[in-house]
Amino acid sequence: MIRPLLNLFKPRPTLYQGEDESAGMVHLDGARKRAIEIGRTRLIVTGAMFTLAFCVIAGRMVDVTVIKSVTVQHSRQSKSNELGIERADVVDRNGVLLATSLPSVSLYAHPHEIGDKKEAAQKIARVLPDINANDLQSRLQGDRAFLYLRRNLTPRQEYEINALGIPGLYFEKAEKRIYPQSELTAHVVGLTDLDNKGIAGIEKAFENELKARRDPLRLSLDIRVQTVLRNELAKTVADFHAIGATGMVMDVRTGELLGMVSLPDFNPNNLASATPEAMFNRATSGVYEMGSTFKLYNTAAALDAGTSTLSSTYDVTHKIKVGRFEIYDYEPEHHPMNVAEILKVSSNIGSARMALDLGIDNQKAFLSRMGLMRPASIELPEISAPLVPNPWREINSMTIAYGHGMAVSPLHMMTGVSTLVNGGNFHSATLLRHDDGQSIPSQRVLKPETSKIMRDLMRMVVVEGTGKKADVPGYDVGGKTGTAEKNGAGGYRHKSLLSSFIATFPVSDPKYVVLAMIDEPQGNKESYGFATAGWTAAPAVGRVIAQIGPLLGLMPSAIPEPAAKEKARLAQDAPPQQKKGVSLAKAE
Amino acid sequence: MHFRFSRSEMSLREKLWHVSWSFVLLVTVICSVGFLTLYSAANGNVDPWASRQIVRFLVGLVVMLAVAMVDIRFWMRWAYVLYAVALVLLIAVEIRGSVGMGAQRWIDLGFIQLQPSEIMKITLVLALARYFHGASYQDVGRPVFLIPPLMMVFLPVGLVLKQPDLGTAMMLTLASGAMFFLAGVRVWKFALIISAGLAAIPVAWKFMREYQRQRIITFLNPENDPLGAGYHILQSKIALGSGGLFGKGFMLGTQSHLNFLPEKQTDFIFTMLAEEWGMVGGVVLVALYTLILVYGYAMSLRARSQFARLVGLGLTTTFFLYVFINIAMVMGLVPVVGVPLPLISYGGTAMLTLLFGFGLILSVYIHRDIHIGRRGASDDI
Repeated sequence: MIRPLLNLFKPRPTLYQGEDESAGMVHLDGARKRAIEIGRTRLIVTGAMFTLAFCVIAGRMVDVTVIKSVTVQHSRQSKSNELGIERADVVDRNGVLLATSLPSVSLYAHPHEIGDKKEAAQKIARVLPDINANDLQSRLQGDRAFLYLRRNLTPRQEYEINALGIPGLYFEKAEKRIYPQSELTAHVVGLTDLDNKGIAGIEKAFENELKARRDPLRLSLDIRVQTVLRNELAKTVADFHAIGATGMVMDVRTGELLGMVSLPDFNPNNLASATPEAMFNRATSGVYEMGSTFKLYNTAAALDAGTSTLSSTYDVTHKIKVGRFEIYDYEPEHHPMNVAEILKVSSNIGSARMALDLGIDNQKAFLSRMGLMRPASIELPEISAPLVPNPWREINSMTIAYGHGMAVSPLHMMTGVSTLVNGGNFHSATLLRHDDGQSIPSQRVLKPETSKIMRDLMRMVVVEGTGKKADVPGYDVGGKTGTAEKNGAGGYRHKSLLSSFIATFPVSDPKYVVLAMIDEPQGNKESYGFATAGWTAAPAVGRVIAQIGPLLGLMPSAIPEPAAKEKARLAQDAPPQQKKGVSLAKAE
Repeated sequence: MHFRFSRSEMSLREKLWHVSWSFVLLVTVICSVGFLTLYSAANGNVDPWASRQIVRFLVGLVVMLAVAMVDIRFWMRWAYVLYAVALVLLIAVEIRGSVGMGAQRWIDLGFIQLQPSEIMKITLVLALARYFHGASYQDVGRPVFLIPPLMMVFLPVGLVLKQPDLGTAMMLTLASGAMFFLAGVRVWKFALIISAGLAAIPVAWKFMREYQRQRIITFLNPENDPLGAGYHILQSKIALGSGGLFGKGFMLGTQSHLNFLPEKQTDFIFTMLAEEWGMVGGVVLVALYTLILVYGYAMSLRARSQFARLVGLGLTTTFFLYVFINIAMVMGLVPVVGVPLPLISYGGTAMLTLLFGFGLILSVYIHRDIHIGRRGASDDI
């Protein structure tokens, strides 16, 4: 054994080319013999190497099977909770679940690993009846190396697929996002796509935050307020055959939104129902010429700047003509009016004259302080910038005084009017709940006296003016109607109205602002054919306040006698007389 | 020994008499282990793997015996031609082969899908044996003499690498290297080639496909990417470890049956077997393989002609490489290169190649006493 090995390293005699041939038969035999001998030693070396290799294999086998059994720790990459959920829950301000995730599995296939594709397709279709066997078979027979067969299997379906024992089928850990409130909070919470990626609302805005946090994200919404708001808006849309509506409830002390509804809406559990029309959030994405509700800003601006006082009077008996434009009141009065009357009867002419006194620069500065000149600030990704005139001429200033020629989102109105009534402090709107004791960034933009006057004026509109149907006994509602003609192709359309009512309560110490805006309501028998704000939006706001006031813990200031209430209701329902009712803003 | 003078013209009956039936039995036993494992891999079904594998084995068995009956001189005469045919097929696959699993390895002949690289494993051995047959020790010592066989090796290796099929290229190179060594090429030349090869590693790295690099990085540290590129090897080790000394029992392997173990019916079948039969089962299988090797070597050494001996040794070495690379691969000793476990892994071409090779080894044994002259003519003493 050793000698042949040593032979390998022995020095060999040098052989020259051709030596072999000249050596003759005997030498040839010798050379051959030697070749065979060398071959033999080499065989032994080769054999030894093979033996060594097998020893290595055997040793390794003992190593991996017996000595060092590899155990892999399945490191959880999820950060949220015990179930390994990747996305945190979303809850309302009281902890009611708005969005949550359930663990599930998705089924996928590597078709080339499947032997009999036809049989596999039939077996799978038997377990998952919503899959068509023929379709599946042709998909499996295609060129794709990877196929999703179905998402979100139930544990039983997973078990049954496993029991089929078809090679090439695999499960992927997944999770399904569930929205227990369905449509109710659709526009605020938004939804996720098939890959669990937020595509709208809070789900989109807080995509990374939701993946990173463990505890639920707490919104400012109150699911009870939201329910009331949506019910009343849906009823109004149905009653007046409107194409849509939006409404909000805001806490004027913090800017928190307790409710935000946009109709039509969608079911976030059903991705197919989320059409672009349904997903459009009128409260934040839509910008509208708001109409007469803008007169609140005009009045506050004039009073705050001191260009008008409550006793200032304006001539409203004549139309104002500026170039080809004409500003007139729908129901002209024939005497000079003071500032309060102008707001009460909603006079366009009076408002325009006040704006002339105020001046363009003052008006711009004021609207800017109210946050109306920049995109509304809120946590949602679906926000729009206001449309402001450029250049801003005197005629623009006059039309803006009564809410035309400038378009803002309903959310802008909420923040602006909250500022008007809360003593003059501007808060950005928010959908996240403020913790108690958390400081609220605010900015004083209005004199407290002006705010006080505005509250009284808004109360007057409800008591004596266009907003009577919004009054709720005991809750001192103040508000302002706005009925705008929608701007369509070829000018304003008389029949397409945008009726809105914005209210605050209780006026003595405002806590909340409520907005309802009805898109293209049609008058009905009960409203005597009227589709204006006083008949559509105002009653809806009244009903909302009547329900959420007690819910939010506000004590009514007086408990009216049922009889008196009934009588008052009957009086309100009487047909309007010629000069009462609503005024219609118009600019042509 | 008794039939020595008539050995060159044996009758079919005599030849059958001389077949090493114990060797055939050994091969059958190993294949049967494979059938059982495939039956288990399909969760107790002969479909889709075990049944087809059995058919292939039966066909292969007939081929093996047929090859064994053919006179060894026939193979010597046709060695270069067969090599040339295999080379042409390799080139053909390069030009118009259908692409499978990202690599171009198959050629479709209509009735069978041919893998020319497998054919090359045998024809290369034949061609090299033919070349070195009768070469004197002095011949082999001349560097110029080694240029043609080196070309014979590098041409197919280059083509196979281009497919790209690292495992087959490795096997061709190593088997040829062993044959060069056995033919008597000087040791210092191997040292030179090996050091040159080591120096070429950085260059080779540059030319590798991304997945090949990934496999090598993964080989060096599989825990790096346990769910991605390191998945195969980690799962394989987990399965092996979970088998323990005596295994979990037939059809009871969890890692493989629950699909944690990828490619359990092909390249990683040894893992599945070791999970179910434990270390003992694995060692028994390796022992069976070793027996085949011993048989192969013993039969080769009995051959009187250099050609027959080299053919036997080359093919036995090829078989050894199959076994070694596959088992070392699933245990994480060498990178994952995609070499099947011989006679057990599911797959037709490898089975046919191996049985054809065994047929040649048997032929070497049956015709062991035939002398073949330097030019290939029968000495017929």
